[in-house]
Amino acid sequence: MTPPLAGAATNRRKFLGLTGLSAAAVAGGGLLSACGEGGGSKGAADDTSKVSGVLPAQGKLPDGIPQPDIMSTRPIPDGYNKYPSNLVDLIADKPGSSGKEITAMTPAWGPAPPGLGQNAYLAAINDELGVPINFSIQDGLTYADKLNAMLGARDVPELLCVPQWEVEKLPRFADAVKVLFEDLTDHLSGDKVNAYPMLSSFPTGAWQNALWNQRLMAVPNPTDGPFPWALFYRKDLLDAKGLTYPKSIDELLSIGKQVTDTKAGVWAFSDIFAMIQMFHKSPASETGWRLKADGTPEHKYETPEFKAALEVMARIYKEGLVHPDLAASKGGDMKKLMESGRIMFMQDGIGGWQGMQAQQQKVTPGFNLQPVPIFSATGGDPLVWGDDKPISYTFIKKGASKERIEELLKVINWCSAPFGSKEWHTREYGVEGKHHTMTPDGPVKTDLGFKEIANQYFFISGRSPVVQPWPETPKYVPDLLTYSNAMVKFMETNPWDGIKLEFPATYKSQTVPYEDKITDIVRGRRPLTEFDGLINEWKSAGGGNEARDFLAKARSDAGK
Amino acid sequence: MSTEAPAAAGTSDELARSPDPAEPPRKRRRPRVPLRARLRRDWPLLLMTAPAALLLLVFHYLPTLGNVVAFQDYNPYAGDGPLSAFLASEWIGFGNFNDLFGDPAFWDALWNTLTITVFQLVFFFPIPIALAILLNSVISGKLRAFIQTIVYLPHFFSWVLVVTFFVQMLGGAGLLAQELRQAGIEPPAIMTNPDTFIVLVTAESVWKDAGWGMIVFLAALAMIDPNLYEQSAVDGAGRWRRLWHVTLPGLRPVIVLLLILRLGDALSVGFEQFLLQRDAVGRDAAEVLDTFVYYQSITTGNFGFGAAAGLFKAAVGLVLILAANKVAHMIGERGLISKQ
Repeated sequence: MTPPLAGAATNRRKFLGLTGLSAAAVAGGGLLSACGEGGGSKGAADDTSKVSGVLPAQGKLPDGIPQPDIMSTRPIPDGYNKYPSNLVDLIADKPGSSGKEITAMTPAWGPAPPGLGQNAYLAAINDELGVPINFSIQDGLTYADKLNAMLGARDVPELLCVPQWEVEKLPRFADAVKVLFEDLTDHLSGDKVNAYPMLSSFPTGAWQNALWNQRLMAVPNPTDGPFPWALFYRKDLLDAKGLTYPKSIDELLSIGKQVTDTKAGVWAFSDIFAMIQMFHKSPASETGWRLKADGTPEHKYETPEFKAALEVMARIYKEGLVHPDLAASKGGDMKKLMESGRIMFMQDGIGGWQGMQAQQQKVTPGFNLQPVPIFSATGGDPLVWGDDKPISYTFIKKGASKERIEELLKVINWCSAPFGSKEWHTREYGVEGKHHTMTPDGPVKTDLGFKEIANQYFFISGRSPVVQPWPETPKYVPDLLTYSNAMVKFMETNPWDGIKLEFPATYKSQTVPYEDKITDIVRGRRPLTEFDGLINEWKSAGGGNEARDFLAKARSDAGK
Repeated sequence: MSTEAPAAAGTSDELARSPDPAEPPRKRRRPRVPLRARLRRDWPLLLMTAPAALLLLVFHYLPTLGNVVAFQDYNPYAGDGPLSAFLASEWIGFGNFNDLFGDPAFWDALWNTLTITVFQLVFFFPIPIALAILLNSVISGKLRAFIQTIVYLPHFFSWVLVVTFFVQMLGGAGLLAQELRQAGIEPPAIMTNPDTFIVLVTAESVWKDAGWGMIVFLAALAMIDPNLYEQSAVDGAGRWRRLWHVTLPGLRPVIVLLLILRLGDALSVGFEQFLLQRDAVGRDAAEVLDTFVYYQSITTGNFGFGAAAGLFKAAVGLVLILAANKVAHMIGERGLISKQ
């Protein structure tokens, strides 16, 4: 299972609601090419480290941006405990000059914000930009479906945001990029990026991921958190029972049993299979691969670690520790159950943390959401899944004039101003008095702010990532960074780092069918004894061996 | 089906039909009216049909041409534009069908779909009829309107809502389960049991759509001449006799019509309902053709494969409709397509 979200921005709490749906839909490419005549690709690997010549020069953050309070180990961003009192005005000229409306498509989770003409926030930012952007906001949960249809019809807006976790699902995406979008290499490579100083502050690693067919095709939105999953728990509720967070699988199970009180309508867990795999040190790089000691690639299905995790998760279901609503339908709302204390632990992205804490502490005094530090089920150091791929990419539609591309890049540049600047503040919080009020500790969004601001301009570009402070949750920044910096030490290294992989079609299309069968085992619908046979079948019919050869070749081609 | 020239078809078949079925109808052609004259005569009718015809053309017939990708290794990015992608994509003949029929998952999905169709034909299809007859016997107009409104209502709920409602009522943490637990009984797994899934989805469908399906039958019941009831009552027929000899024969044409339509749809049993509950009971129980196409084609962008599955579905549907129509004619019903 590939987590759909590589790094969630801390304030994008709606992000992780999508995991249930899209994790099930992680598949791509063709079909049973084993049958010979059908369509589908054999996969493609693109070594992005060979083409460093086209990457933009790495610039510094502009002068006047305050120093962070907490320094982090990359790829964890630095953090601020206090909102800066003096904001720097970084961009004097309005980026837009033509007056010609820009069309853009971006994702949003939850209710869609009002559109152009009914949205004071859009009006304010468009005024700053000097050129109006007209957004088509699409539901983040079904964004890939929309993208698939849109790309297939070759009907794209001028600026298109494509999230990283959707890229993995889009078949022939490299072809689509070549046909549909402008090559930005001549505008951004080397020192040329200095015309867009905010973009030059992006980390080089993010740019590397924006290469397709050895050319710079998009502006990346650098990640501000590399971890796909965390196991959150209700610290306030466990404290009240005199319990502490688990440090081993046995403790996890025994705490799970202690807190499950079906008569009171309380269960311990959501579906925490990804976390159980992580505790068992099952690999996750590039959809679950690692290298054996002899250098051959090995998928998690073939490892004893995964099998052990499977057994534990099947036991958790069997003992009835997962809330039945979550077991019964995709419509079950894990977050609601967590908020109301009807589950004690949930597997979620980090992105949901701050939002839930800020909202729920108003409803439930003492509400305290904390992540369980990741432990190893078998002793020794834990393994933490994560990567530093960007959150999303912004593409420019093919066929624009040179002047238009420059105007669009200037707009993207404005939207990419870092934390501590006036531009960032306006982009994030809108107009003072309308969308936010200033407190001594920083801006607090009003109801109108929550309604109208849905990261529209955030998904136009990105920013040099930092963890920003929130007046409502003063402990959040130190909590998050203490956890993240402790965990990043154990982050899995990706043997295919720097290689852009498009897996063979059979492997992609067989992902869901085999995941389904494994889910059957987890849920007790299939006996565990069938697992070995299933994996043997997966190696041939499921494209496992083909993917292994493909991955081995990708590494040797890249000289690794 | 009409064997006459299109010019005469659909004008006055009823009148042209021979009154005595024993005597074969004479082959005759009515005098041809010139096209211009017919246009002058019929233009208001044509004008009224135009919007609907345009809709059909743009949203049904034109997209139908896209089915050609079923025979291609379709690459939407080949060629210079969306249309030339059709021409530039490689022609692989029946390659997609080959893959489709070679995929055991496809046969599983087909089997599930057919099982659910048959099950619902037996346990869902008669319910609206029974409901309509029951409701028809309610004398008070106010009460009848009230009941009608209530049983129609769930039709307008989305599947997400219906499934959520069932989870809240019958799920492991739902009303029923919690009541049972309070009473010290361990509740059965209703929502997550793959063996009884077919009953569950049928129950959901009944709850959602039985009231809606009743409308047509209520209309048909209203068409039955009340004199027939009175006469048979005078002749000494009791309630059941009247039901058997008056009501049901009166409903028969509609029942047959709807049955044929349902058969044509035999390979569609719904999509969202199954997508939502798939994880709860597993793919083996919940994979139907439509979810199969969604996972194997839409989410993977493998449009050729999906189009092949869609074509197969359409072909089977057509065969079923024609066969059912034939059977209807054989048992003396008018069926979907009138016989000459």
